[in-house]
Amino acid sequence: MYQKYFLAIFGSVLALGMTSSATAHHAFGAEFDPNRPLILRGPITRVEWVNPHAWIHIEVTNEDGTKESWMVEGGTPNTLLRRGLTRNSLTPGTVIIVDGYQSKDRSNRANGRDVTFTDGRKIFMGSSGTGAPDDGRDPTEN
Amino acid sequence: MRSVQQQIWWPAAAVASLLLVSLPGWAEGPKTAEGKPDFSGTYNIATVTPLQRPAAFGDNLLLSPEAAEKMVAQTAALKAAGQQDSDPNREAPPAGGDGSPGAAGNVGGYNSFWIDNGDSVFTIDGKFRTSIIISPKNGRRPELTADGKRRAALRMAAFRENRGEAWWLESDGPGPYDDPESRTLSDRCLLGFGSTGGPPMFPVLYNNLKRIVQTPEHVMILVEMVHDARIIRLNSEHLADDVRKWLGDSIGWWEDDTLVVETTNFADQPALSLATRDLKVTERFSRIDDETLLYSFTVEDPNTWTQPWSGEYPWPVSDERVYEYACHEGNYAMEGILKGARILEADARKSDTD
Repeated sequence: MYQKYFLAIFGSVLALGMTSSATAHHAFGAEFDPNRPLILRGPITRVEWVNPHAWIHIEVTNEDGTKESWMVEGGTPNTLLRRGLTRNSLTPGTVIIVDGYQSKDRSNRANGRDVTFTDGRKIFMGSSGTGAPDDGRDPTEN
Repeated sequence: MRSVQQQIWWPAAAVASLLLVSLPGWAEGPKTAEGKPDFSGTYNIATVTPLQRPAAFGDNLLLSPEAAEKMVAQTAALKAAGQQDSDPNREAPPAGGDGSPGAAGNVGGYNSFWIDNGDSVFTIDGKFRTSIIISPKNGRRPELTADGKRRAALRMAAFRENRGEAWWLESDGPGPYDDPESRTLSDRCLLGFGSTGGPPMFPVLYNNLKRIVQTPEHVMILVEMVHDARIIRLNSEHLADDVRKWLGDSIGWWEDDTLVVETTNFADQPALSLATRDLKVTERFSRIDDETLLYSFTVEDPNTWTQPWSGEYPWPVSDERVYEYACHEGNYAMEGILKGARILEADARKSDTD
């Protein structure tokens, strides 16, 4: 029974990570506005392969035909580099779909809550996992 | 036909080899010119074994192989789920937030392909563990002192669910987003999150590589997150008490083939959550085999915990590269946080006057 409970707890920790709610170098809740959800579609213009977070730039065409540049925040590039992926793994012109929330500063930045190709496939496939041990830094942790 | 000498020599050599490899400290990895273990190398310390044991496991340090196997399978299944295709016709996430907890702050983070916390639970002496912490016996941090509880409560009181509102205007005093100095050390790129550099050093969500460089007088541990180098002076004294460092002041010495590192002289906010400047951390590095170190630690901070606590976990050698983590290189987050707070404050004041 203990083992079952233990696995359930592990599972919940892992599941939290898998649903894109990763704890990271900074607090997403401090940066992004839950009242400004977004779905963005457009071609990649460039990729900033920088720390602490990579940024994917895309060009979005509005309903009135005007174009806007948006930046989408991802994780640290080091992890992907070790898997042989680089900024060149995403070719400019490739159309992607991003859902997330706009930055509280109302600039054209969003978190890359889910970033996929137009057929729904995740970009940068090949993740190796989620779910760090609790460290006590997050006051909501038990 | 083999000579008599050959017939005697080979069995004798075999016996001698068996004796030598069975002696402690022999044939267990490279040695320095001084005859000390050479720990130089790169280690990937990622593990899905938790720091703290789930309370339901009580004092049980060991995890059965069956439970460990299930956990690994569950981890793999969750990873596979995280890589599943999404609906290309999906809508924007819900207005008001997606309910994601903690630092993900009701807006979610990013796809799991950015994350690299390992995919296995570790073993020590062939046994799976339920937690990294081994003392107290329940595998959890000990009870906080009264002052520790007070500080933990203050932190919790300052926490609000992210509603996209300037809630801090409802009370007097400084707000959490007033200036860069009011942000967390990880937001400020001063230290990595989760005590990744510590000390003590814990596994985190990604960038779990450590690189050790060893000389007769020093041991350096390069911590990938966030580009910190711990410089440990061997056979030295601690600096004067008024010299305080983010990573503390580390001195080390050898006890047989174990490297012991003692760290004191911390700044007011050590990487270890809730610890104070009086924190003392004792770490021990020893070799399990050619491919693995055993890292153990003891934490003492009478301002925060009612008793010391200890843990241990293996550090496997890795052939992966440690990349530079220049944390402020492209740090748009601080601007987004501070400017965003100013905009939310202006919105709140405007709605008050309307």
